[in-house]
Amino acid sequence: MEEVDKILIHALKQVGTDLSEETDSVKQFSSELIVEAVVRCIRVIDPALGNALPTLLPHGMSARFRVGMSLAQACQDIGYKGEIGYQTFLYSSEPEIRSLLMFLVEKLPRERFEASDQPSGKSAVLQRAIAAAIKAQLAVPWLPPNCRLPKYCETQSLLASHSFHVQPLSLPHCTKDPDKKHLKEVKDYQRNVLSPVTAQLSSRTSVVSSILEQHTAELSAAQEWDSEWNSQGLLSRLTPQEYRSRKLTRLRKRIEEQLRSAALPSAESACGVPASASDLSELLHAFRGSAPSDHVLTKSTHFTHTQKFTFTQEAAAVTHSIPTGHQLEGDVQLRQQEELAALQEQFQQLCTDVEHLSADMKLMSVTNAQVLDELKQRELANVQNEEKMQVKKKTIDLLPDADGNLLQLQALVEASTKRVVNLASQWEKHRAPLIDEHRRLKEICSSQDMESSRKLSEIKSLHDKIRVSTEEAKKKEETYKQLLTELENLNQDVSRSAYTQRILEIVSNIKKQKEEITKILSDTKELQKEINNLTGKLDRTFAVTDELVFKDAKKDESVRKSYKYLAALHENCNHLIQTIEDTGTILREIRDLEEQIEAENGNKTVANLERILDDYKAIRQENSALAAKVREG
Amino acid sequence: MAVLLSRLPHSDCLNLCHRVVDGLCGREPPRWADYSSTWSLQEWLELLSSLTTLFRLAVQSSNSDEEVLALLSDVGSSHAKAVLSVLRSRQEEICHALLDRTNSISSATLQDFEWQLKLALSSDKISSLHSPLLSLSLDVRDNGALQPVTMELSREELSKLINALEAANKVVLQLK
Repeated sequence: MEEVDKILIHALKQVGTDLSEETDSVKQFSSELIVEAVVRCIRVIDPALGNALPTLLPHGMSARFRVGMSLAQACQDIGYKGEIGYQTFLYSSEPEIRSLLMFLVEKLPRERFEASDQPSGKSAVLQRAIAAAIKAQLAVPWLPPNCRLPKYCETQSLLASHSFHVQPLSLPHCTKDPDKKHLKEVKDYQRNVLSPVTAQLSSRTSVVSSILEQHTAELSAAQEWDSEWNSQGLLSRLTPQEYRSRKLTRLRKRIEEQLRSAALPSAESACGVPASASDLSELLHAFRGSAPSDHVLTKSTHFTHTQKFTFTQEAAAVTHSIPTGHQLEGDVQLRQQEELAALQEQFQQLCTDVEHLSADMKLMSVTNAQVLDELKQRELANVQNEEKMQVKKKTIDLLPDADGNLLQLQALVEASTKRVVNLASQWEKHRAPLIDEHRRLKEICSSQDMESSRKLSEIKSLHDKIRVSTEEAKKKEETYKQLLTELENLNQDVSRSAYTQRILEIVSNIKKQKEEITKILSDTKELQKEINNLTGKLDRTFAVTDELVFKDAKKDESVRKSYKYLAALHENCNHLIQTIEDTGTILREIRDLEEQIEAENGNKTVANLERILDDYKAIRQENSALAAKVREG
Repeated sequence: MAVLLSRLPHSDCLNLCHRVVDGLCGREPPRWADYSSTWSLQEWLELLSSLTTLFRLAVQSSNSDEEVLALLSDVGSSHAKAVLSVLRSRQEEICHALLDRTNSISSATLQDFEWQLKLALSSDKISSLHSPLLSLSLDVRDNGALQPVTMELSREELSKLINALEAANKVVLQLK
């Protein structure tokens, strides 16, 4: 019974009944506790039915009676077959309550337990954790700042919500250029001057955010490069460096084109008319005037000139703008201002001059190029004409001896045709193997091409496989972790395995008992058989003896006496057996009665009767009080 | 600048130059208060701007050692060497900072951003809402002035914003 009670109490606690630690059997349940437990169970089983019932017993006796009646009705509605009434709750007997509670606990919906057993998703675990954390934080009372313990400062003070600001960091491993890594200056700097990351920033709060930002930036760059290399870089069949440099030149060219197209219109409207076009051209205009010097410019023929011009000027200004000594300040300032104004004027003048001159130069260079072109064409025509003239001159020289020369020419032509044929045949001889060679090489080339593309595809598939398997591994690790946490959570619920163990033990015990019972039964059967045998034997022996003695008794007086004794003996023995049997039945009856007495004692009849009497009196009092009230009213 | 830098001992000069580079790269620049005994405020500003310009120009036009030393001809040779070593050791960082400047060449650029996820439990009209809200604050640098832009987005608005940004990113990728 103890096991059963333990299971019952565990289940009731899970339902939400407020049981103290000491209660470990149903015997200790009070009426209030019984009512609460039953109501909680009913609420879980059938919320609509249970929510109408109060968990606490009221004080008034009649109200108690009504609660008991409604509870009994609810239990019957759920399907309890046993005997039940208000008395079950108010004047409880242990076995009745136990059977009722067992019925209710069995009726409790199983899914609730199963749901908590199932491996829930990662997000569910996270949400549960968040909910628990927030609940814990909400449960902590608010304290004025001076009274806070350090562990609550984090959640309660406003200081915790720092804004996420990032500052650049200087990290030694960021140096990508392998040649520069070993430069002496760099090493010295890293060893002597460079402070640790936590000391590099002005405010401590931005340390974490800066480091996180730096890491994400590096990580995303690496990932991007990886994916690009896998998708395009591998197909281009170049080494990474080559691929990078090719991409760089391509990008440069693009930007150059963009800049040039943006710059051209503004160059035509020479004198700094604010361009109505794009942002970029406006910006480019800004460079032409007194440009801010601190931008790295991409190369574009127009700009490099202006850029160099402005930069060198400023550099010169920097190196020269150093006060040489102390003079009278007012005087100096006045003079400096004048000088400055003059210089600015001069500068403006020079700027416009330069612009004019550059426009002129452009024009000139264009005309120059045209003229040069023309000149080249003329020269070419000249050379052609000269060649023609020479051919004509020769023909004129040959004219006087026309026939002879004609013959000679024909012979020459014939010889040269022969030579051509000869050469052609020779060429054919050479050509055939060369063509074969060419074909062979082509085939090899194509086969190698195929091979390389096959290998490329293999590499690609390998990459894919690697990615897939890493993802899988990650997923499995996560599930493993999750299962671990779940296992830890489950460990509190040891009772489950203990119960199964107990159940198995009980089952084996029952089996053993069953075996013993069958053994005893067979023993009993054997005994019965023996008894029957013996009675049969006795009956027969007696019949034979009776007959013999009766035969003799007619003749002999003494034998008659013995016959009488025999009859008496037989009768007495019969009596004896009867008495023994009667004793057995009586003993059994006694045992039954004793059991009944025990059961009645368990029902606490006397105490219950007293309580019933008291409650009866209370009800009568209440009734009379109500009647008095009615009369008064 | 010659006179100005020479007033500092060699080792301090190295430190100062490093901190000037720090300032150039977006961290805390050196403060006048630390050097107020050496230079007046005007001298300090001049020195600072000239050093910054020097570093920028040298990295920009990738000058050789001789060219840099020629620029520093009026400083003592040990100081010039210190400046040169600082320049060589931090060249890449300066280059990075300058590239960043060039990247943010257009009128308004995103300097920094921060987000907070909030769960609205109820409003003045609806007792239980349970809708997540994202408050996004962007620090936009517009013509040199930092301008905070803060907005609160619901789930649909956020997905719209993300879609727009992804489309923009696709355009950038195509340019590559």
